[in-house]
Amino acid sequence: MCAQPVPNTTEIRWQKVLYERQPFPDNYVDQRFLEELRKNIHARKYQYWAVVFESSVVIQQLCSVCVFGVIWWYMDEGLLAPHWLLGTGLALSLTGYVLFDLLDGGEGRRKSGRTRWADLKSALVFITFTYGFSPVLKTLTESVSTDTIYAMSVFMLLGHLIFFDYGANAAIVSSTLSLNMAIFASVCLASRLPRTLHAFIMVTFAIQIFALWPMLQKKLKACTPRCYVGVTLLFAFSALGGLLSISAVGATLFALLLVSISCLCPFYLIRLQLFKENIHGPWDEAEIKEDLSRFLS
Amino acid sequence: MEDELSFSDIYGGRLALQRRYYSPSCREFCLSCPRLSLRSLTAVTCSVWLAAYGLFTLCENSMILSAAIFITLIGLLGYLHFVKIDQETLLIIDSLGIQMTSSYASGKESTTFIEMGKVKDVIINEAIYMQKVIYYLCILLNDPMEPNGISQVVPVFPSAKPRLDCLIEVYRSCQEILAPGKATSTSP
Amino acid sequence: MAYRGGGGRRHGPSAAFHPVSPGRLFTCRTPTHNICMVSDFFYPNMGGVESHIYQLSQCLIERGHKVIIVTHAYGNRKGIRYLTKGLKVYYLPLKVMYNQSTATTLFHSLPLLRYIFVRERVTIIHSHSSFSAMAHDALFHAKTMGLRTVFTDHSLFGFADVSSVLTNKLLTVSLCDTNHIICVSYTSKENTVLRAALNPEIVSVIPNAVDPTDFTPDPFRRHDSITIVIVSRLVYRKGTDLLSGIIPELCQKYQDLNFIIGGEGPKRIILEEVRERYQLHDSSKIRVRLLGALEHKDVRNVLVQGHIFLNTSLTEAFCMAIVEAASCGLQVVSTRVGGIPEVLPENLIILCEPSVKSLCEGLEKAISQLKSGVLPAPEKIHNIVKTFYTWRNVAERTEKVYNRVAGETVLPMDKRLERLMSHCGPVTGCIFALLAVFNFLFLTFLRWMTPDSLIDVAIDATGPKGAWINQYPYSRKRGRNKTR
Repeated sequence: MCAQPVPNTTEIRWQKVLYERQPFPDNYVDQRFLEELRKNIHARKYQYWAVVFESSVVIQQLCSVCVFGVIWWYMDEGLLAPHWLLGTGLALSLTGYVLFDLLDGGEGRRKSGRTRWADLKSALVFITFTYGFSPVLKTLTESVSTDTIYAMSVFMLLGHLIFFDYGANAAIVSSTLSLNMAIFASVCLASRLPRTLHAFIMVTFAIQIFALWPMLQKKLKACTPRCYVGVTLLFAFSALGGLLSISAVGATLFALLLVSISCLCPFYLIRLQLFKENIHGPWDEAEIKEDLSRFLS
Repeated sequence: MEDELSFSDIYGGRLALQRRYYSPSCREFCLSCPRLSLRSLTAVTCSVWLAAYGLFTLCENSMILSAAIFITLIGLLGYLHFVKIDQETLLIIDSLGIQMTSSYASGKESTTFIEMGKVKDVIINEAIYMQKVIYYLCILLNDPMEPNGISQVVPVFPSAKPRLDCLIEVYRSCQEILAPGKATSTSP
Repeated sequence: MAYRGGGGRRHGPSAAFHPVSPGRLFTCRTPTHNICMVSDFFYPNMGGVESHIYQLSQCLIERGHKVIIVTHAYGNRKGIRYLTKGLKVYYLPLKVMYNQSTATTLFHSLPLLRYIFVRERVTIIHSHSSFSAMAHDALFHAKTMGLRTVFTDHSLFGFADVSSVLTNKLLTVSLCDTNHIICVSYTSKENTVLRAALNPEIVSVIPNAVDPTDFTPDPFRRHDSITIVIVSRLVYRKGTDLLSGIIPELCQKYQDLNFIIGGEGPKRIILEEVRERYQLHDSSKIRVRLLGALEHKDVRNVLVQGHIFLNTSLTEAFCMAIVEAASCGLQVVSTRVGGIPEVLPENLIILCEPSVKSLCEGLEKAISQLKSGVLPAPEKIHNIVKTFYTWRNVAERTEKVYNRVAGETVLPMDKRLERLMSHCGPVTGCIFALLAVFNFLFLTFLRWMTPDSLIDVAIDATGPKGAWINQYPYSRKRGRNKTR
């Protein structure tokens, strides 16, 4: 290629091509540099009260754990009669059961195809097995020191909180693991109670509060948000009240925790969105947006 | 004809190269390494004995001290007899072969002889040696199987490790014997 | 170096391109440099980066510079070897960690690299590829020793996931005081500037090149059924999943269409499944052929068997394969990703979105163009493409970078620490400033242990006083006649 007389630069515009020899130096920066850069295309805008509403799921679980701990403490001290707990628990479960069906008008039941008879059968199976195994449960941890039991329970309940399905689609979520951890914690704690009846009632209560209560709450949240908010607040106050009767310091700390999770964390989340800087451009790896397995199915 | 030149090795130590020209087809090169210095001997002995004394104060076992003395003596004797090379000689006789002799500090001598039929060439090659890249003189041996192949590379002056200027002197002299008619390249 | 407007008479920056006249191999006007190319990826490993380093070195040697290459040992291949025209390669015995990249502690390679830089009297260190740990090590040590540094980046990177964030941070540290950076396409330049927060004026765009004598069309090609050729590694990044949708659709639509797929990889199983499912490997006529791994020398023979080249990559900085295919006279259909739109003009390539539907439409357009005879002849395409990217041109432009860099100063220690701490963030900057100080202390210790005067200066094989060129003058004549 011979040298051609290069015309006036104002007539030649820089082109983003590599195959042509352009009369610009290799490190030339055109005004079109980074013109295809886009920032924060997929950023979501959060509303404060909506985030606070969503944080109520976490509040509910924390309060469940707190209530469970408080009830166990009362049973351990002998301040709570086991029959009373059993009766109340059964009554509330029945109410919740009826409410569950009423809320969506039988829609969920028809979809899943479970009959009431099947529900009754599984409930009976649970109760029978738990009652039958309660002596075993009671003596399960006799050789283990109390400190270890407490540590294990705390660890398991923490694990329950971490792995619980709060509705987010993350890899860490595992609802079976969280439920198992909670029941394990309850078994650990129940084995330290005075009699086998106590152990049986504790485990039953654990199943009610860790397995059944979240299901009802999820349904309530989906169908009647206002009621759900009310129920959450009531639950939180009762947990705080119960904790207050045991220890004022504990109640204060718990209250602080609840306030920070429900009010401070959403505020901080929205504040940090201002610093978000997702960079998109032609250098991104292309995403295959279709489902290619249909060609091989 | 005999002359002596002074060079240095890759660590900076002094080397003396003695060249003896017995005849146009027979030459000998004698490279003398620096002797075992008193400074390094004292340093090693002191460090071994200090370490032994340190161990003694920990274990209160006097066997350690006698063991240290024993180890130092045996180590020194072994070093002088098996490791420390005082002088390396290269004798090249046209149409007969090449002989390399290493004289140890204890007086032991070890000799290697390579007959001329096996010798393909003598070259200066580069190699990576212990975090350095050094030049070394080596003898290429013929491969009986393959006419143009090389079966082995034998380094010359392996423990003296002279620098390039010394190697070039020896190389030129060897090439005058091995290939007397060929014009040697004056690259450096 | 801003471009000053004006006529074309002046020897402005790359305003005029003189061909290298054969009788004047050593350009007396421009100074020659002692260049050291450092990368983990070199021969006997075959790939884009490896051939880039090799070809660029050969052309620079032709222009009269001294070039050496430092890489890690490949199996038994340790020590020093010489390649064509006296290109000296150091295969250093450093431990290889993963995917041909060395394990790095940032300090253990200093003694050996410092020794090599001193003995070869290197003035410019040119590192290649962000994936190579040795390249970054060499840049770090070169700056401590006060040598000038150039870095070439060959790939595109994302920003989103954790590994990308960390890698980009390390790249920022490595490039914040590098003298000049070279990228292979404008998209790659934008990507690198964003990743490492660089000043765009110190980034040059010099594309890759291809040897047109290696990739020539076949004059005796048969004009029978239309064949689509795909040559790439069969991995997710190269879009092999898209092929599983394209092949059945097109094979059903056009009865005389064939596919030849060269290359190996974990996604090969998907293509075999597609072949099985749609029964495209009948004994009567094999419509989809999977050739497996191809040697570099066999690629041309596979390419000339086809009429259309399909590239389904999901990301590419500069796709060599499409230039090679165009050089062989094929019509190219490709996804519009990365730097691909900049590589070939619109009449030689059909660009599509990375989806099965769009690629099928593009291929149908190519097939209809082929059938109607609108496309130019393969020889014509080859003649056009061979002027686009040549290694001589790449070497000339790289030499300009070297000349520019040789005139710059290397940051002294205090300025370098300041730069690291201000440019790379508080935590990373301080950590690497500390490491730079340790590096300097280690270098001082090495200079005390083995002073520079004890290091024998190596005999040049290439360069103005190169022994190789002076000893073998006939190779000069051979190199002259080869047209590139």
